Amino acid sequence: MNVIETAGLSKRYGRTWALRDAALAIPAGYVVALVGPNGAGKTTLLHISVGLAWPTAGQVTVLGIEPAGSPAALDQIAFVAQDAPLYRNLSVADMLHLTRNLNRRWDQQRAEARLGELSIPLERKVGKLSSGQQAQLALTLALARRPRLLVLDEPLASLDPLARHDFMASLMAAVAEDGLSVVLSSHVIADLERVADYLIVLSHGQVQVAGEVEGLLACHRTLTGPAAAADDVAQRLAVVYARRAGTVAHLLVRNNGAAAPAPTGWEAHPVGLEELVLAYLRDPGAAALPGPRPRVTQDSGIPA
Amino acid sequence: MTAVAAPAPQVTRPRPVPWTRLVWVTWRQHRVALAGVAALLGGLALYLLIMGLKIHSGYASVMSCHPVHSAACLTLSGLFNRDYYPFAQVFSIFLLAVPVLVGVFTGAPLLARELETGTFRFAWTQGCGRLRWVIIKLALLAVALTTASYAFSLLWTWYFQVFFTEGLDGLLAQQYFDLRGVDFAAWTLLAFAIGAIAGVLIRRTVPAMAASIAVWTGLGFAVNLFLRKHYQAPLLSTSGTIWENNWVIGQWYTGPNGTVVSQQTIRNVVAHAPGSVQHSPNPSAVTAYLTAHHYTQWASYQPQSRYWHFQLIEGGWLLGLSLILLAATIWLVRRRAA
Repeated sequence: MNVIETAGLSKRYGRTWALRDAALAIPAGYVVALVGPNGAGKTTLLHISVGLAWPTAGQVTVLGIEPAGSPAALDQIAFVAQDAPLYRNLSVADMLHLTRNLNRRWDQQRAEARLGELSIPLERKVGKLSSGQQAQLALTLALARRPRLLVLDEPLASLDPLARHDFMASLMAAVAEDGLSVVLSSHVIADLERVADYLIVLSHGQVQVAGEVEGLLACHRTLTGPAAAADDVAQRLAVVYARRAGTVAHLLVRNNGAAAPAPTGWEAHPVGLEELVLAYLRDPGAAALPGPRPRVTQDSGIPA
Repeated sequence: MTAVAAPAPQVTRPRPVPWTRLVWVTWRQHRVALAGVAALLGGLALYLLIMGLKIHSGYASVMSCHPVHSAACLTLSGLFNRDYYPFAQVFSIFLLAVPVLVGVFTGAPLLARELETGTFRFAWTQGCGRLRWVIIKLALLAVALTTASYAFSLLWTWYFQVFFTEGLDGLLAQQYFDLRGVDFAAWTLLAFAIGAIAGVLIRRTVPAMAASIAVWTGLGFAVNLFLRKHYQAPLLSTSGTIWENNWVIGQWYTGPNGTVVSQQTIRNVVAHAPGSVQHSPNPSAVTAYLTAHHYTQWASYQPQSRYWHFQLIEGGWLLGLSLILLAATIWLVRRRAA
């Protein structure tokens, strides 16, 4: 079963398309990183999935339930919006009670235990918590609902590095405990590198890359060699992104099938997640899944 | 990308979150607004109660004064009117603002604050769904406010009753019509409904309040000045005198040939009357002179006996309009994309 499945999903705001013909099938059981530059359509996609926005065209199914945003669907999804909006004038305890009353399932013990571990006092007003604590409270409220799918929109955006680390640690502990599926968006790829096992790259409202992180990393590598021979290599291999620095060229290539040995005079290196994402984002024409379109771009960048 | 091979498991419709739980949510989130309403209405009610008791006891002593036409009794009666009536009039006019205060200050923030602070993204993604959430909030607050303001208008009715009994004012008088009967509650409900829909349309609390107050006040003036007099065709009278507690809408003269004539024509006719008529201490002498010369004084008016009929007409359409606005608010929340 797929946690989120879309077909031809499009959303237009005025004259701009936030999403354009996005097709996705996110399988259950993953921590999915939804990445892309600001304005790529990440928030729109997540909002449509939880019923906060309506698509202009196309379908979306969440946990196999239609329509997205119906009480039946929301019963099993917990959503934490960007900046974790909560009622600032309520105490933490009231916020728990409120969320409990808005849902069919609720695990009060778990919520209180989590807040105890985080040393968040129940009697404190939400508005008096630090932004890290507010994010943790929002996550606690979401997890206490015992969802099958947890959707987080830029959960780390407003947090300092320490709070980011703590937040991700809490999230991963909960995932390990519950086995729930998670979809989280971010424009900071480094934050997701250690936690995400499924990657979706969204660019200009379209799905550019979608796949298991392990598989994606295994089928991409960087080749470094003489710039003069780059065009020749590009003829034979699927180049996602090429950068030339003086006489040296760096090519991020995608293996089709088993990795062929590097051409003579070239050195092969494994790629990191961030490098991979950036390579695709730099060339909106390239896409992984429908098959990358090889292209060599001239770059007068700084010598490596 | 292909669709899932296996058909999606059929989801049995889960039992919804019970209404009673949402009652707690409504109370917890709006208790401050409700406390404000209670403080405003309670403070004013306390004042009405204290003054009402004074007025009623003062009136009882005027009524029990004997003999009625003695100088002492007339003095007592005069003092009673002087002490209570003018202030009660002015105070009551201020009370006309109570429905808009109560309704708008509760209704406008209801959705505008959620939309303004982004908390709707939290509230609308919980398991109960936004439809039930908005319906129960609107329904509970609407009922609470309408009931409270109806009770308040009953208290005002008791407070002011003496002056109506004495015939100092007619029930249809514009400045009191909205304070009595079902209309006070109906105008409160309308203010709440206008506030709620303005909140979801404008999405900001303070501008939504300002717009709601402007719309409500404009509508109130329009109804008072232009609409209410047309609820039923007015009666016509040529008697020249109308019992003062009826609501006089228009007065004019017709000439010998039956057409309406101007005030200037009437002044010219009277100017030619003999001095005994012009300087008569009795104004009916002028009327009698005009009648003798085939000039007829007409008046159109709404009799006081139509009071409840008018109350129900106005209360009815205000209720209908409020329900339409509330339904539209619910529809907007349901359809509104973030």
